[in-house]
Amino acid sequence: MTSQLVLRSALAGALSLAFALPSLAQQPAPASPPAASPPAWAQGRSADQANSPLAPHAPRLTATPVDRIPVGAIRLPQGFRAELWASGMPGARMMARGEDGTVYVGTRAIGRVYAVKDEGGTRTPRVLAQRLDNPNGVAVRDGSLYVIAINRVLRYDNIAQNPNAEPVELTQAFNLPTETHHGWKFVAFGPDGKLYMNIGVPCNVCTFDENRHALIVRFNPDGSGREVMGQGVRNSVGFDWRPGTNVLYASNNARDWAGNDTPEDTLHRLARAGEHHGFPYCSGAAWQDPGHTGRKCSEFPAPVALLGPHTAPLGMRFYNGTMFPEAYRGRAFVARHGSWNRDAKTGFDVVTVALNEDGSQGTVEPFLTGLLDSGDNSFKGRPTDVLVMPDGSMLVSDEQNGAIYRITYQR
Amino acid sequence: MGLALMAPAFFAPAFVGPAMAQDAAVERGAAVAAERNCGACHGERGVSATPSIPSLAGQQGEFVTLQLVMFREGLRDVPPMMTATEGLTDTQLEDLGAYFASLPHGVPPDRARRNVGAFNNGAALANRLRCGVCHLPNLTGQAQVPRIAGQREDFLAATLKAYRDSQRHGTDTQMNAAVHGLTDAQIDAIAHYVAQR
Repeated sequence: MTSQLVLRSALAGALSLAFALPSLAQQPAPASPPAASPPAWAQGRSADQANSPLAPHAPRLTATPVDRIPVGAIRLPQGFRAELWASGMPGARMMARGEDGTVYVGTRAIGRVYAVKDEGGTRTPRVLAQRLDNPNGVAVRDGSLYVIAINRVLRYDNIAQNPNAEPVELTQAFNLPTETHHGWKFVAFGPDGKLYMNIGVPCNVCTFDENRHALIVRFNPDGSGREVMGQGVRNSVGFDWRPGTNVLYASNNARDWAGNDTPEDTLHRLARAGEHHGFPYCSGAAWQDPGHTGRKCSEFPAPVALLGPHTAPLGMRFYNGTMFPEAYRGRAFVARHGSWNRDAKTGFDVVTVALNEDGSQGTVEPFLTGLLDSGDNSFKGRPTDVLVMPDGSMLVSDEQNGAIYRITYQR
Repeated sequence: MGLALMAPAFFAPAFVGPAMAQDAAVERGAAVAAERNCGACHGERGVSATPSIPSLAGQQGEFVTLQLVMFREGLRDVPPMMTATEGLTDTQLEDLGAYFASLPHGVPPDRARRNVGAFNNGAALANRLRCGVCHLPNLTGQAQVPRIAGQREDFLAATLKAYRDSQRHGTDTQMNAAVHGLTDAQIDAIAHYVAQR
């Protein structure tokens, strides 16, 4: 059905081009060849925003000295405490914990995967892999570490016993799209033992193959058996299964250049496998994209929660520990990386989402704040992922400072 | 011209704490630059007289540091720079950024005379491609976006072609998209215009 739709719209495009050609031919030839295409992140920018100085923030690829890591600026609800757990990992993003307690940390621009393990109260990170193209995705299953870069899928077997193992190359088996923009992956193993990942759209907003991009897909761990679990999810860089239900929830980044307050970023419930969640037609709070009117918001399931415009919700996990008070158990914790495409910055924090009983709606509440200074519109750090530890504490990675904080609770 | 460019340094405000830390970084960076012999190719004061080698004087410090990280990590394939950065610490790369940013920008001694036709073509293209949004209207750059005004013309042309042909990307891929589909002649005009700024 969808492929028919794509075919039909391609045909319509070809037809309209055919009709457009004669009128073009009547015009004088342009003085110079066609303008360069804008960068993928800038597509969809309206004429009145053409000179906007807003642009993605620069990464920091060098280690932040410990005395300049803003752990002291972090604010938490009463009884919670933040400490610096590990640092010296420029670009630290997504986290996965191995059976021996080693935490593996993916990155983007710096191309590294770090490994950090608590040994007698000290944690010295090491570079486990390097020279990869945005190795954002890390996951552990049956003693093997999976590293997913844009152009590679690698498996490190018996990683705990053999920390210098040469990886098994699974790139061809997974045969992932090669587009760079939104090509970095979040990966996690589901309760079904399958490896789940996002495949983002290679643009800000565009017409694309809806069976190839804006997806959440799952594979057998060897790369076979690809199945689409969710369509129309523009770019999800964090998802988890609600404890006790096996239902997948995913954070999602909505498009840019449609205003400071629209559309909102979202949390989705993937209740039915393969269901379409709206992009590029519908985003945020039933916001119909004026450039993509082919389908209506009423055709798609509403998001479970609105997470604010341009806040960039990335890593997201349900709290299944017992250290935090009863009220926090079962909530989703979402790291909001923070906005760039908004005049007044927003995000740069961690929020919680408490779901109603049937899991169809959530209530958003601030949790970790203090890294955004609204006064001078600046930020000190960028929370990127959250990870619940066996003792019930929570790790929060900060990409901008190459650091991981540990959040604990004591009455 | 040289005097006019250097003049602001004489009117710099009195140094305070962070400025002193910055001075120390500049001093350390100068020592690393001397040890690694950066000046042999990039010019003793960071103004390159060597074809295809960029000037670094007055460059954005953050840009310099990020590119040095990419060389050291093997993410930018320029063998002489991969050798030059081997074994340097993060702090040393930041110090080098601070050092080159502190040097007064200057145009290369062998800069060609302005070709008004090429300059105007390049200016029109640069305006259409909105180079001035990220590089700022005076093309002096900001943070990870480099200063390009007054850079060597041969280096600019080669770099833009490398972006166009996907032979190079930065910490992101924005430049690859920005120059997509340009002809060699268009790139040469942009390079001439930017080098003359």
